[in-house]
Amino acid sequence: MSTDDSRTQKRIKPMINGKGWDYQILLDKNQELKRALNITLIPHVVVLKGNEIVYRHTGYAPGAEEELYEIIKKHSK
Amino acid sequence: MKKSILFIILLISFVSFSQEDHDISYGFESNSQYYLDDSKTGDFLESNRFRSNNFFKIDYSYKNFYAGLQVESYEPKAMLNYSPNLDKTNLGLYYLGYNTGKIEVTLGHFYEQFGSGLILRSWEDRQLGINNALLGGRFKYSPKEYLHFTSFYANQRKGFAISKGNIIGFNSDFDISSALNFETSSLSAGFSYIGRSQEKTETNFDYNNSTDLFSSRIEFSKDHFYSNLEYVAKGKDAVIIQNQIKNAKKGAAVLANFGYAKKGLGINATFRRMENMNLFSDREANGNIYNESVVNYLPALTKQHDYLLTNIYVYQAQPQVSFQDPSLIKSGEIGGKIDVFYKLKKGTFLGGKYGAKVALNFSSWHGLKADYDFAGFDYETDFFGFGQKYFSDLSFEVRKKWSKQWNTIFYYVNQSYNKRYIEETFGEINANIFVSEATYKMGKGKSLRFEAQLLATNDDRKNWAGGTVEYNATSKLAVYINDIYNYGNDDVDQQIHYYNVGGSYTVGAHRFALNYGRQRGGLICIGGVCRNVPESTGISANITMSF
Repeated sequence: MSTDDSRTQKRIKPMINGKGWDYQILLDKNQELKRALNITLIPHVVVLKGNEIVYRHTGYAPGAEEELYEIIKKHSK
Repeated sequence: MKKSILFIILLISFVSFSQEDHDISYGFESNSQYYLDDSKTGDFLESNRFRSNNFFKIDYSYKNFYAGLQVESYEPKAMLNYSPNLDKTNLGLYYLGYNTGKIEVTLGHFYEQFGSGLILRSWEDRQLGINNALLGGRFKYSPKEYLHFTSFYANQRKGFAISKGNIIGFNSDFDISSALNFETSSLSAGFSYIGRSQEKTETNFDYNNSTDLFSSRIEFSKDHFYSNLEYVAKGKDAVIIQNQIKNAKKGAAVLANFGYAKKGLGINATFRRMENMNLFSDREANGNIYNESVVNYLPALTKQHDYLLTNIYVYQAQPQVSFQDPSLIKSGEIGGKIDVFYKLKKGTFLGGKYGAKVALNFSSWHGLKADYDFAGFDYETDFFGFGQKYFSDLSFEVRKKWSKQWNTIFYYVNQSYNKRYIEETFGEINANIFVSEATYKMGKGKSLRFEAQLLATNDDRKNWAGGTVEYNATSKLAVYINDIYNYGNDDVDQQIHYYNVGGSYTVGAHRFALNYGRQRGGLICIGGVCRNVPESTGISANITMSF
C-alpha cells in the first residue's frame, strides 16, 4: 500500500516494474486509510487474518522481515 | 477544550453500550524539544525553551456511521517556526458521517482531493505544520461502480480558526473502460470545479468575489503504455504583491504524463506548466510562510532525495506571480521530469549473483517566457516558452546486494539551483553530490548501516562532508549518530558541524525516540512542500502510538 501523493504517484508503476516486484500495490491517494488506522509513521506493517488485525509494527530495521516471516508462519496454520 | 472533553466522554460511553459492528481506533503523537544555547551558533533567544506539539485522534464507527475528533496541544508553545495560529490546546478536528459505499455524507471536518490536487487538496502533515482540512458539509454519490460524484460547501481550517473565504467544490470521475467493457485498455475521465468566494476589496482591478477553477482530465493505458493529461483554467483573481493588490489576472495549468512499464524496466516522463496558480482560502494569505490557507496542491516535481546533503538545495515549485525588481519578475514555471528504473538481471556480468537495481532521474524547471511590464505589474506569457532557468537536478542510483549480509547503494546528484529566483535573494549554485551507503545484516534484526556523503561546490557555503552510522541492536532498538560538516566555508567561524545522536525503541505500532543535536537551518520538505526551520540546538523526544 503506497501513501505517495500526486507528486510521486506517477513514479510507482515504473518503479515497481523497474525493480521487478511481483506483488500487487494499492494506492492510498490522499491518506484516507492512513488516517483511518491512525498511522503516523511510515512504513507500517499490519497483518490481517480474516477481519482481525493480528500484528502491527511501525518503522523498519534491516532484518525485521525475518520477524514478520515468523508471524505470518505462526498465523497461517 | 470543554467541548472536546464532552465529545470524548460521549464517544466512550457510546462505545461501551454498543457491542457488535463497532470499531474504534486511536492515535497519539507527541513531538517535543528543549532548546539549548550553543557556543557556535548562538544562544536561544525566544521565549519558552521547552516546546511541544501533541496530537490525539480518535475514530469510532458503528455500522454505517462514523465519528471522530482530533485534539491538538501546543503547550507551552508550538515548536519553532510553526504558525502562531497553532497555540495552546484545542479541538482541531471533529466529524460525523454516514457511509453506505454508494452514498456518503460528512458533517464537520473532512479531507478531500480532486484529480492530482491542482485545484484542490486538503490534507495533514504534522511535521510541516499543515492541516488545511475543510469544515462544512460533503456529499458523495456513486450511482455505478464506474461513476463517482462529490460535492461540498466549506470553510477552511486556519490554526484553530477558519477562513473568511468559502469554498464550494464539485467533482466527477468516470471510468469509461469499465462502463463500456473495454478488455485490453483502460480509459477514464474526470471533471472538477472549485469556487473560492470572498468579498473583494475596493480596487480599480476587475475581478469577482468568486474565483472559479475548472479541471478536466483524461487517463489512458494500453499494454505497457500509460498516459494522462490534465488542464486547469483559473478565472481572474487579484494579483497580490507585498500585501497590495496590483492587478487581476487569470491562471492556468497543464500537466501531462507518459509512461512505459514492463518487468525489469520502467520509464516515466512528466511535463507541467503553471501560470498564476496559487489559490488561498483568504486572498490575504498569499505568500504566507506557514503553508496556511492553501487550497490546492502544487508540489515541486523533482525527485525527493533521501540524504542530508542532497537536501540542502531543494527546489520549491514557483506557481506564483512576483515583481521584485525589473530583473526579477515571475509569473509561473514550466518544466519536466524523467525517471528510468532498470533491473540488472541475476547472473549477468553487471548484475552479479543477486542482480542490481539502477535508477536515473532528471528534472529541469524554468520561469515562463513573457513580456513583462514592471511599472504596470503586468505580463503577457508565451504558452510554451521557456524563460529563466530556476533549477535542474540529475541523479543516478545503483543498489546492489553482494551477499546475504551486504547491501550497498551508490548515489550521485548534480544540482543547479538558482537561489536568486527561487528564494528571491541572490546567488546561483552548481553542486555535485556523492553518497555511498552500506548495510551489514547480522541476523535476528541486528544490523549496521554506514553512509558517507560529499557535496562539492564553489558557490554559496562551499563544500560539505557528512556521515552516518546506525546500529540496529534488535528489530526494536536502534541508535544512530550523524554529522554534516561545512568544512569548505570561507568564513572559518562558519565551518560548523551539524551533529545528531539519537535512538528509538519500537514496540508494535508504538515508537519512542530521543535525539540530541544541532539542526541546520533551512528547508524541511515533505512531498514537495517545504517549511523553513531556523538553526537550533537541543534535545527532542518523539512518541507515536497507534491503537
